[in-house]
Amino acid sequence: MRVVLVGNQNSGKSTLFNLLTKKHQKIANYPGATVDFMEGYTKDKSIHFTDLPGVFSLTPYSPEQEITLNYLLNQDYDLILNVIDVTQLERSLYLTTQLSDLDKPVVVALNMSDILKQNGENIHLETLEKRFGMSFIKISATKNDGIFDLLCLISSKDYLKHKHPLYPQEIETEITKIIPSLNTDNKRYYALKLLENHESFNDVIAESHANIASFTTDLYEYLAHHRYNFIEGLLKRAFVKLTKYDKRTAKIDKILLNKYLAIPIFLLIMFFIYTFSVGFIGSRSVDFMETSIDNLSNFLRTWLSGLNASSWSISLLVDGVINGVGTMAAFIPQLIVLFIFINLLEATGYMTRIAFFLNKLFRRFGLSGRALIPFILGSGCSVPAIMSSRTIANKKERDMTIILTPMVPCSAKLPIITLFGSFFFKQYAGLITFLLYLTSILVILLMAIIMKYLFKVKTTTGYLSEMPTYKLPKPKYLFRDVINQVWDFIKNATTIILLASLVIWVLLSFNFKFQYGVPIEKSILAYLGNILAYLFYPLFGELSWASSVSILQGLVAKEQVVSSMKVIASVSNSSSILTASVFTFFTTASALSFMIFNLFSAPCIASIAAMKGELGSTKKTFYAVLFQTGFAYLFASLIFWILHWGGF
Amino acid sequence: MKKNLPFAMINAVRKLVSLNMLKIGQTLSVRELSGPKDIKYKLYDLGITKGVKLTLISKSPLGDPFNILVRGYNLAIEKELAIKIKGTLL
Repeated sequence: MRVVLVGNQNSGKSTLFNLLTKKHQKIANYPGATVDFMEGYTKDKSIHFTDLPGVFSLTPYSPEQEITLNYLLNQDYDLILNVIDVTQLERSLYLTTQLSDLDKPVVVALNMSDILKQNGENIHLETLEKRFGMSFIKISATKNDGIFDLLCLISSKDYLKHKHPLYPQEIETEITKIIPSLNTDNKRYYALKLLENHESFNDVIAESHANIASFTTDLYEYLAHHRYNFIEGLLKRAFVKLTKYDKRTAKIDKILLNKYLAIPIFLLIMFFIYTFSVGFIGSRSVDFMETSIDNLSNFLRTWLSGLNASSWSISLLVDGVINGVGTMAAFIPQLIVLFIFINLLEATGYMTRIAFFLNKLFRRFGLSGRALIPFILGSGCSVPAIMSSRTIANKKERDMTIILTPMVPCSAKLPIITLFGSFFFKQYAGLITFLLYLTSILVILLMAIIMKYLFKVKTTTGYLSEMPTYKLPKPKYLFRDVINQVWDFIKNATTIILLASLVIWVLLSFNFKFQYGVPIEKSILAYLGNILAYLFYPLFGELSWASSVSILQGLVAKEQVVSSMKVIASVSNSSSILTASVFTFFTTASALSFMIFNLFSAPCIASIAAMKGELGSTKKTFYAVLFQTGFAYLFASLIFWILHWGGF
Repeated sequence: MKKNLPFAMINAVRKLVSLNMLKIGQTLSVRELSGPKDIKYKLYDLGITKGVKLTLISKSPLGDPFNILVRGYNLAIEKELAIKIKGTLL
């Protein structure tokens, strides 16, 4: 049996889906968190669930809402499970009135019913059931309440199957007249669409148009009005106190959305998140992990030599595998902390507020206020960030966001900043990190203005967004999300990095005659790097094969830049990266130029793939990457030469 | 008395104001929406139909968008759209 979950954003649909299928899915509070739809089974595999992207009506206003409508109209399923936030009944039931136009039976799950009980309110389910001709059931997904009853209702197929017409008699009459001339499923839905859109292909429909024109010029408006009136009347009869404005949310909003405090509070929160995760946790964990890796390397080296292992196999394990993968491990602690904060911002409902007060600012740059969500997620990883841009309805605004998101310093670029920052700027490393983030914001805004003219973005459909009530996320779900995100990252990163580390080790340890143990300068990598070095000369004022090769490695994954440098340094018998002879040429100027180039140039392969997926065009993706790299090249060179002549 | 008057006559008595003219805490009873169809339809779907009451809760620190209370939920709406919603002050 196939069941589809349909409901508003923030209705708790995803939480319910997780409960029903035990399959992981991200829960978030900003509109459209469920980007792709998810599928899953109950334990005994008897019921198959599909979690469709959240919608507030059956008229699609974004590509993901289109997914929902297309699925409902064209796919094969047995039952619609309409999930409703019971504290938002009036608006939520609007979708229910539209679902009643479809052929399939509907079961309505009134989620968060525990809150209703807390407030001493109640709903007379029978009144709703009688009027809609659908089964209603109270549940609470977060409290795991009523889920068993819901499953029983679904599997017994004991729900109401004959939906009642909800529209005024004069409309129902016309629908009945049109239906015989239609040759599709969901005839009621299509009959209404024909009437709303003034389309007709035979006399019967033309006559219906004439009849309807006698009492309304805009049927869509007429029906919307009728549906809401119907719901208002029904809720009065079902003894429901109409939902009140959440007082706690109002109080919190008074502070967080205060005219003078909102932006300082936001900056303070962001500053805290970054100094804590990048500065406090980051620097300590990198130090700790580097010492541990050195100790492990030394121990293995001694132990393996004691076993008479060949020198190349020791080098392969210690220099290739442990150093490469170990460097990535060093910044996992800060990634965990960063993900916890980003998830907290999403789940509490603050992320929507950020979009709310930054909207006006963003619109000046031709961006949607919602672009902030990908930008903030992009500070973790560009891949999910690029994918989250699907919530932006306007195609041009969406494309701009997709191209700009990889320019946000992602967490994998942090090791580069940390490495150079702590070496060249010592106690000012935190400040430099903050300044680089600030630079990236300015660069993104500048790029946005340029693209606004290139793409000819005009002011588009206005900003409309639900402001969810503040919620305290369940730590259990929050940590599960964080663990999953970090685990996904580790899985993806280790395989790519392990492979890349081994390739570099081979290229670095052998020469073209495939002889082991040649000096680094004679290795295959050095030879390739020497050619590349000319290309990167304007960035460093120095021909450096080692930095050129490391930059190239960044294409595979950004965390690869530092681990590549580590491998090269390690093979040249230096325990610290920047004291290795191949890297001693770095000055403050070239260090900054190196950081800047890596921040803004082409993202990693995974992000480029995500960009291609969302832009939907290889050509566009190619130009986007070229645009990013070209800009990075010019900007980094400029910074280098200015500082270089300034004596840095 | 007023309740029985047709809208046109009420409008003659009470001037129509658009949503963006509201002060914080004021409530508007919606009379008309203007603008392109797709935007109007989106507003209808979100519950902004004729006769509904909208209360201005707060404005963004930058003055735009607005945070309004409609049908028991909060909606953030851009000034550009708020101008298109007109009604009578309550």
